[in-house]
Amino acid sequence: MFGLNRGRLLVATAVLATSGLTLSAMPAQALSPHQEVGVSSTEIKLGVTLPMTGTASPGYNKVPSAMKAYFDYVNANGGVGGKKITLVVKDDQYVPTLAVAKTNELILKDKVFALLAPLGTANNKAVAAAVNPGRRGVPVLFVNTGYSGFANKKLFPTTFSLLPSYIVEAKIMAQYLKENFSDKKIGLLYQDDDFGDDALAGFKQAGLNFAVKVPYASGSQGVAGVPATWITKLSAAGAEVVVLFGVSSATGAALATAAGMKFAPKWVLGSVGGDATTIKALGVPAGVLYNATGASFLPATTDTTDEYIKLFQDINTNYNKGAVFDNNVLVGMNTAFVTVQALKAAGPNLTRKSLITAIEKKGATFASAGLTPLMFSATSHVGYAGYWFGTYGPTGDLKPNGGTYTMYTTDSAAGAVVKSTYSRPAMPAKGLPN
Amino acid sequence: MPRIKSTNFTRLLFFIVLGVALFLLGNRVDELRVYQGATLAMYVIAISSIILLTGYSGQVSLGHGAMLAIGGYAAALSHEHLGLPIWICFSIAVLAAAAAGAVLGTAAARLSGPYLAGTTLALAVGLPSIANQFPILGGEQGLLFDVGAPPARLGADFTQYKWYFWIAALAALIAIWWLQNILRSRYGRTWRAVRGNEVAAELAGIHIGKSKTLAFTVSSGLAGLAGGVLAMTISTVSPSAFPLSLSFSLLTGAVLAGVSTLSGVIIGALTLVATPEIADAISRRLGNSENVTTNLPGLLVSALLILVVLLVPNGPVEQWRKFRARSLHEVTHR
Repeated sequence: MFGLNRGRLLVATAVLATSGLTLSAMPAQALSPHQEVGVSSTEIKLGVTLPMTGTASPGYNKVPSAMKAYFDYVNANGGVGGKKITLVVKDDQYVPTLAVAKTNELILKDKVFALLAPLGTANNKAVAAAVNPGRRGVPVLFVNTGYSGFANKKLFPTTFSLLPSYIVEAKIMAQYLKENFSDKKIGLLYQDDDFGDDALAGFKQAGLNFAVKVPYASGSQGVAGVPATWITKLSAAGAEVVVLFGVSSATGAALATAAGMKFAPKWVLGSVGGDATTIKALGVPAGVLYNATGASFLPATTDTTDEYIKLFQDINTNYNKGAVFDNNVLVGMNTAFVTVQALKAAGPNLTRKSLITAIEKKGATFASAGLTPLMFSATSHVGYAGYWFGTYGPTGDLKPNGGTYTMYTTDSAAGAVVKSTYSRPAMPAKGLPN
Repeated sequence: MPRIKSTNFTRLLFFIVLGVALFLLGNRVDELRVYQGATLAMYVIAISSIILLTGYSGQVSLGHGAMLAIGGYAAALSHEHLGLPIWICFSIAVLAAAAAGAVLGTAAARLSGPYLAGTTLALAVGLPSIANQFPILGGEQGLLFDVGAPPARLGADFTQYKWYFWIAALAALIAIWWLQNILRSRYGRTWRAVRGNEVAAELAGIHIGKSKTLAFTVSSGLAGLAGGVLAMTISTVSPSAFPLSLSFSLLTGAVLAGVSTLSGVIIGALTLVATPEIADAISRRLGNSENVTTNLPGLLVSALLILVVLLVPNGPVEQWRKFRARSLHEVTHR
């Protein structure tokens, strides 16, 4: 091959030299030493990776435009210290290897200041190992996963989460199931990875035993015939109550297939896949959801007496092309709301370090739509700690049981599940954090 | 043109010079390019394994992604469970994939043309989903394969990706140098003889089956090394890291490289690395729609494959050689 005559040697040298020149001509970093990456005098650049297309994308692909809508609202009202917030969105299709590639692009090519709300347990773990934002000092604000492992500050020093951990959710759900369905056979469908394992740990901690546990491989919900095998297993075990602990598309597939197979247990939906709009959009008739139980830590999306819901609905109309206001939009806007507060709390000399310090020091006092306090501190990077339970109505809207939000909180360890006495402080004027 | 005699020594020298050039280049460019460089090195190894198989021994594999997967998983498992040093993990990746290749190659030697293509394709479709059957393989989420931070003596500014690049580039240089020597040896000549005319080769005393199996084994071993390097650059192995599209991309890369010669391998690898970049630039112009961004890279690669097959069926390098030979011919016969 590389038969070395002079001509070829010349060609090889020329190729090497040209590629070298081309590569080195691309500017490494044209930043002054004091300016933080991704922050200019006019802009703060954030980036998100999540499934915008593919099997797991339904519902979650509405989150970025919701976050953008809130940022646009803030930008229209002076931005953060005069700087506008921009959000770069990358599609990872819920595939860890793609999440790694896309996060690389965000950090190395787009040069974002921080990662915002990257979604998925497996994806975030792969990114933490390969890209290692922690070692790079890149803040990962509010991962969209409740995997309890991300609370380990040593392993993930720059990662924060808003969602309560899946262990917390499972513990609270176990208490609810024990109180209401202690005499029933309970089945569980869960995603067979760290997301599902975290939930299993919570149920085990709470001492809840299932009559049948059906794991599903992430992505298999999109394979024809697979959801039917779940329902067959659940129904064969005689499950009267079925807990669905999966992503929206898997939850929708389970409900639709069960309806087709005339299997109608009492459904209990985990918060990850419990968004009614997404489930309905997947072809599940609203009636199938009727009387199912769901959980949330934010107000109900239809609760227009709530000042946050009212504000977010207005922003949704004016800045989000009037998208259907569902839980994904609500989560997106609330995440953006907390993000703006964190950016403001970091002060005028915004750096990655000052942002992390600000959340650790002041995060517990941040306002948000959440119905439990945020638990941020120098030792904890986890936000909310509890859930309320509700029932899906005939149109598929989740309403709190008994008409009021009864919050239960606990921790990811052996702590007891307790009723919360927290009352949320008033929203900052116009929904613009100071 | 005066010819520098191509000896083992000059070839080794060439690779050392190339290594030094890459080392200097790695220090000049930013981290994104360094990361792409590591990916490039991975593609160079993977594509050369296909060139060896198809170009030199005349067998087709539509499922080399499966061999990468075996290598990747072998490396990750030996690193996670046995805690072995990285270079031993890579060696295990090579051996595991070569062993699998030997088994498959024995079957492959009896098949040809579309039957062989179909068999290997089935392997690429089926093999990754085995991960969902055995918990030790980590299911859909896969296993972490963290080769660790670069040694401290390289300095605080030495980035993780530069470390990956060093390892990947070294692996590629050693693999290609070794492969080139193999191809110039008795084995290489045997493979070419079999590819050229099986009957003639057999009459010359070559055992066709053994020769094909050996080619499949060596090619799989190289693919296993590429799998290990791929797993390192993304720090994880999972079924989704070895999709069917990977096998097709590699084959496309080999066709672009000119499947009958190793010297084009860098062209194939460069194209595969550059395609997502180009697709990204185009989709930005087209308003960043998700559908465009997701599907454009595949479209570009496929279009390129069709164009190359139509216009330069033997690859650009071979075409260039022919072109030069023809013009030389014209000059001398004027």
